[in-house]
Amino acid sequence: MQKLMNVFIVVMTMFLTMSLANAVPDLEMNTPAILAIKNSMQARHNQLAPHYASGAIGLTKDGLIAVRDTTAVPLKDRQGINALVAAENADRNALYKEIAAGNGHPEWRGDIQGTFAGRWIDKAQAGWYYQNDSGWVKK
Amino acid sequence: MFLRLVFAIGFCCSLFSPQVLAISAIQIQVGEVDAPAGKLKNAQFQVDLKGTKPTLILKAEVKPTNEKEFIPFNLQCEQFNTEKIGRVDCLKGSFTAKQVKAPFSVHFVSYPNDFAMDIAFNAANFSDESGLHAGENLTGQIKLAAKSVNNIWQWNGLISWDKGELFWQPFYFGKAGNRFEVNGTFKQPMLNIENASLLVNEVGKMTSSVQINTKTQMVEDIKVNAKDVDFAGLYAIFLKPMAEKSVFGNLEVSGKADWQFEIKNLEPSSFELNLRDANIDDKNGKFAFKHMNAHLPWDYNNAKTVSIEYESGNLLKMPLGDTKLSAVINRYSFTTPQLTLPILDGALNFTDLSAAMIADNWYWHVGMNVSPISMSAFSKALGWPIMQGKISGRVPQVTYAGKQLVMDGAMTFNVFNGTIGMDNLKIEDPLGVVPRLQADLQMRDLDLGDLTRTFSFGNIEGKLDGDVKHMVLENWKPVRLDASIQTSEGKHLKKISQRAVENITALGGEGTAVALQRTFLRFFKEFNYDKIGLSCKLRQDVCEMGGVESTATGYVIVKGSGIPAVNVNGFTQRISLSDLLGRIKRITDGNTKMVVE
Repeated sequence: MQKLMNVFIVVMTMFLTMSLANAVPDLEMNTPAILAIKNSMQARHNQLAPHYASGAIGLTKDGLIAVRDTTAVPLKDRQGINALVAAENADRNALYKEIAAGNGHPEWRGDIQGTFAGRWIDKAQAGWYYQNDSGWVKK
Repeated sequence: MFLRLVFAIGFCCSLFSPQVLAISAIQIQVGEVDAPAGKLKNAQFQVDLKGTKPTLILKAEVKPTNEKEFIPFNLQCEQFNTEKIGRVDCLKGSFTAKQVKAPFSVHFVSYPNDFAMDIAFNAANFSDESGLHAGENLTGQIKLAAKSVNNIWQWNGLISWDKGELFWQPFYFGKAGNRFEVNGTFKQPMLNIENASLLVNEVGKMTSSVQINTKTQMVEDIKVNAKDVDFAGLYAIFLKPMAEKSVFGNLEVSGKADWQFEIKNLEPSSFELNLRDANIDDKNGKFAFKHMNAHLPWDYNNAKTVSIEYESGNLLKMPLGDTKLSAVINRYSFTTPQLTLPILDGALNFTDLSAAMIADNWYWHVGMNVSPISMSAFSKALGWPIMQGKISGRVPQVTYAGKQLVMDGAMTFNVFNGTIGMDNLKIEDPLGVVPRLQADLQMRDLDLGDLTRTFSFGNIEGKLDGDVKHMVLENWKPVRLDASIQTSEGKHLKKISQRAVENITALGGEGTAVALQRTFLRFFKEFNYDKIGLSCKLRQDVCEMGGVESTATGYVIVKGSGIPAVNVNGFTQRISLSDLLGRIKRITDGNTKMVVE
């Protein structure tokens, strides 16, 4: 009986390991929804870029962006900055959701968001701000 | 009230000149002052009356109650005049603190029960800690005069600036040349501004009255009125900040406007916006209205009639014609028995429209029928190949709630001498980044002759039925459907041209079209057929193909009949939709030039 149990455990472990090994999300996939979101983010990037550079906004550790220092935003853009950040975050949240859905695993959303958080920070230009556990850091 | 002064006053130095006993200099140092409004420490106050131009210096650190840290500031007057009783002049003054640098001059006159102050500032910069109230390079003046009668201060003032920019959350005044004349009363804790006249550059003249509770720092009542002002300026400065999160938050506008709104006891009580010859363009390209006249009133207590008219426009690329709309708005609901939205030569007629805002979300219900719209104009407007026919239909109920549009009932498109019915239509977030459409389509008796000529596919005569079930479009592109088309039942002419045979063959891959050219079949311009059929089960980008019947190696797309009979077989079982659409596009594009020998 004990032997049978061991075999069962080994088989189950192999099965689980295999499913985990196969469970690699495709982060580069492009469904029409993902393309639409990427286009929308691309179109917004020109508006965001000067604010990343000035340190007005920064990349958060959860794959979103946030206003870091309102006083660094030129007065003419100051009123719209919160809406701009909110729109970008709505797109980013939708992107993570769509990539998870496109992979057929909506429950992967959180992990995908975590992976993207690291990617955005890696891809950030020098001088941009990002968040780590101790707060805002200048890259 | 708690007031603690930790005095370390060094009342010092050469207070008296030996001969005339006149004061020549005063120095006061204060260690710390604790007051309900905040704290002050390390204060140094120094007046030097010795020279021809007396000077004043005040340095200290203040910490208002709501701030965390002490903020050092420095106030200086290069010329400080106090010769006349009750009058103080500070000329060539400067005030500097963290995030503030303001060169200024002040004339201050004070009598027992009144005072007047005239401040001129030059290229001043200031900002609060959060940056939500800030000015840059401001040059202008502030005048304030006040008189106390029975403990009520009556005051009037003027703020104007001809250079610089000002941001006062959420309003941004980018163009200088603004002049605000204000007057009112002040009796603890209420500050009343009565009949303020606001001349705002690029907008026009506005009037306003405001009641502010200085204790709670809340604007309790406010009334703003603007007549015949510039709509572009009004939108940019005042309306856009309020509409930021709605679909009206990113517009390009022009025209003239009247605007008034009132807030009573912190609650909106009335609003009115009138537009004259306005143009509205959504920068995201979702909608536009040209030459719009609108009367948009709203009142918390009374029902009002809203009316909108425009000459032309578009909504989700759908062209809108000359339109007149009116509806009744009653607090947070909106009703009208009949509403016609002309589109090209037809119209969408909405019946029994009702909308209500519940917990910040709008819920719409409406019945709809379509007065026939000609397909040729419609397809041309959308940049499609020109199609003949009409769109018409009747939808008992359309609802829009939680960003989702649902249609109960079918729409019919009378096209290609047959019909295409659309049923179970549901659109999620139609105005958002990723609109997602679900619907079923039913095609009956489509004239293949018309269809193939329209899409330059090579001529096929016959009639076609089709069903598209569980169709899902993401951003208007298909990602899921179960589609099949096949020759309609019944007797009708069934002929297929050689070019169409080649094109259908080319859909399945390369090669076989050439084979046809090598045989005697190339002498036949057209063939008879029994059945044509194709099916596609689409999941994401992969289409699982099928035909009228299966074969050992694939499926039959065209089943020939008579002599000579041509069968077209498909072998590719799974094909990428983008590849398939690419092939169709190459065929329809290429056929306009292609010559078959």
